Amino acid sequence: MSDTQPAGAYVEVDPTTGPAGKAERRPKSAVGFDAGDDPNAPLLEVKDLSVEFKTEDGQVKAVQNLTYTLHARETLGIVGESGSGKTVSSMAVLGLLPKKAVVTGEVLFRGRNLLTMSERERQTIRGRRIAMVFQDALAALNPVFKVGDQIAEAINVHADETIGTDDERVIELLNLVGIPNPKDRASQYPHEFSGGMRQRAMIAMSIANDPDVIIADEPTTALDVTIQAQVLEVFERIQDRTNSAILLITHDLGVVAGVTDRILVMYAGRQVEMGSVDDVFYEPSHPYAQGLLASLPRLDRRRDGERLYRIKGQPPSMIHLPPGCAFNPRCPVAEVGVCDVTRPELVEVSPDHRSACHFAAEVRVGTRAVVT
Amino acid sequence: MTLGAEPPAPGTRSLREDRERMADIEPGDMAYQLEEGLGRENLAGMPEDGEAQLAPGVEPQARSQWQLFRRRFVRHRMAMVSLVVLIILIVLCFGATWIAPFPKNNQDLLSGSLSPSRHHLFGTDRIGRDELTEVLYAGQVSLAIGLAVAFIATVVGAVLGSLAGFYRGWTDQLVMRVTDLFLVIPQLVVLAIAIRAIGQTTSTIALILAALFWMYIARVVRGQVLSIREKEFVEAARACGASPFRIITRHIMPNIIGPIMVNATLAVAGAIIAESTLSFLGLGVQPPATSWGNMLSDAEGVVGTPQAYLLYFPGLLIFITVMAVNFLGDGLRDAFDPQSHD
Repeated sequence: MSDTQPAGAYVEVDPTTGPAGKAERRPKSAVGFDAGDDPNAPLLEVKDLSVEFKTEDGQVKAVQNLTYTLHARETLGIVGESGSGKTVSSMAVLGLLPKKAVVTGEVLFRGRNLLTMSERERQTIRGRRIAMVFQDALAALNPVFKVGDQIAEAINVHADETIGTDDERVIELLNLVGIPNPKDRASQYPHEFSGGMRQRAMIAMSIANDPDVIIADEPTTALDVTIQAQVLEVFERIQDRTNSAILLITHDLGVVAGVTDRILVMYAGRQVEMGSVDDVFYEPSHPYAQGLLASLPRLDRRRDGERLYRIKGQPPSMIHLPPGCAFNPRCPVAEVGVCDVTRPELVEVSPDHRSACHFAAEVRVGTRAVVT
Repeated sequence: MTLGAEPPAPGTRSLREDRERMADIEPGDMAYQLEEGLGRENLAGMPEDGEAQLAPGVEPQARSQWQLFRRRFVRHRMAMVSLVVLIILIVLCFGATWIAPFPKNNQDLLSGSLSPSRHHLFGTDRIGRDELTEVLYAGQVSLAIGLAVAFIATVVGAVLGSLAGFYRGWTDQLVMRVTDLFLVIPQLVVLAIAIRAIGQTTSTIALILAALFWMYIARVVRGQVLSIREKEFVEAARACGASPFRIITRHIMPNIIGPIMVNATLAVAGAIIAESTLSFLGLGVQPPATSWGNMLSDAEGVVGTPQAYLLYFPGLLIFITVMAVNFLGDGLRDAFDPQSHD
């Protein structure tokens, strides 16, 4: 994807190339900031974010001490298996978790803490500056409204005026995400769309207000590979157009390799590794990340009769996390007395490449072999 | 084979390069055509109305929810007949000034207690009023009360039910306990007392009846909202920055308009019957205003006499109206249900 901009270097969309009327529509000041925004602060800064749910069986620590920074135009991939806290952490960013969730830490959007903000204030951010794309587009689209109406609604929520199904902005957005015959399609219902087109319509809704951040929660998981590729291409195209940063949540390492700039690997609610795509793919420094990569079938490493690597065991219960490193019971290189006692901190193994393993350096260079 | 240890072959080092190479492949026309083709296939393959057989080359016409709804409703024969009957009744009653053969309350003691004849189609009562004329004018009150009660009860029930279902927690507890309270009180007693207390006009009776009918709609709406609010499109609406008010009115309500309409028709029927009951007990509208119910009450003494027709006509009209409204509700329910195919 496009080059990463340094923190604070916000680039406003050129109104002559952006979707029609975008510059006037956006109820922001000309430089692209709301009142109260800190222009020098990073776009999105998540600091020490923890989410806990109290259940009858005990506390579920869904996310623990998550910290990352998202810059303008950057694509960050959050990877992990089901239940690792990917979705919960992104819902926490938008304040969409149910009230019983205990969210601590800081989520700074242009320097403003979204967690301490009033609900009313958050509503002005959601959909307009931080938008979300859901996994199951059929479920996330309202079955009783025309697709065009729903895209118009995404705009109307934040505007004083009210636009309809056949407004040129709606058509433009459908066009932008690559839906053929946008005029006719706008007046159809979600059930008349194919899966890939529904997902594109969802994306059109999410970019309707030209957001700074798009959170895409497994946007391609429900799609087959050809359509996946098309949808990912749509993301790249709209990012070129709108300069949005994308937070891509997925468990598909292929998707991550294809479109993201940086990767954050989560396990049992904690981040275990973070770095550029190249760093994580070529020098994975956490046994879990290495295991994940080794379990991928690869065309260039195939040997007949050889089985794919698998990570033994099951993910831990989120209520009774093992002491020390959460991955310790499944880790082939864990050491008794270290890994089951102390929780490893994130350490830098190379510039901007961090791993939460006691033996990160050895794992990285392979002197502590995870995969043989 | 250790991933980390293996030095990547020169030239294959950067994933970014791969991506750039792949970027040359445009989202080709072929792919888009394929997509579009898929969409068409979906459309054509849907036996939405049992009309999967389409003439070749004919573009299947996409139908809107409203078109589908209308189609299913029109096919419901009883509902259509009921709708026509109701419209005729409403036109006759509210057009009584022009349609009725005699002026309202036109007493003619010389032609009292006449059996139905060509001159007096429904006969006359003891003081010589034309029964047909009286029934039509009484229908104005009965129908107005039925519609007004249904309207008020539906609005109140929908608002309270959706608040309870959407906010849950203590709001839900409060609203539903009040609902329960209204359901468990002995209605006739409360009606009698309330009517004595605030007066026996048509509008107060409508209000009091509405107070006894909103709970059913509130319960239905609450249940529906509870289920719809968990749908992902509601979360998507929240993620779009929609306020709770907007979510309830613009995103949830359109999804539950079906059950609301069905229950509203039931309330119309219920209210007409309840008003008749009240009138029969002398708690309904007071003369000179008349309703079908107090016409029945007036005719109390004619059972077993030749003037029994005085009971039949208002009774028949109540019966026809309530049946028609119920059939209408039936037809609406079937038409709103997307799973019903004939």
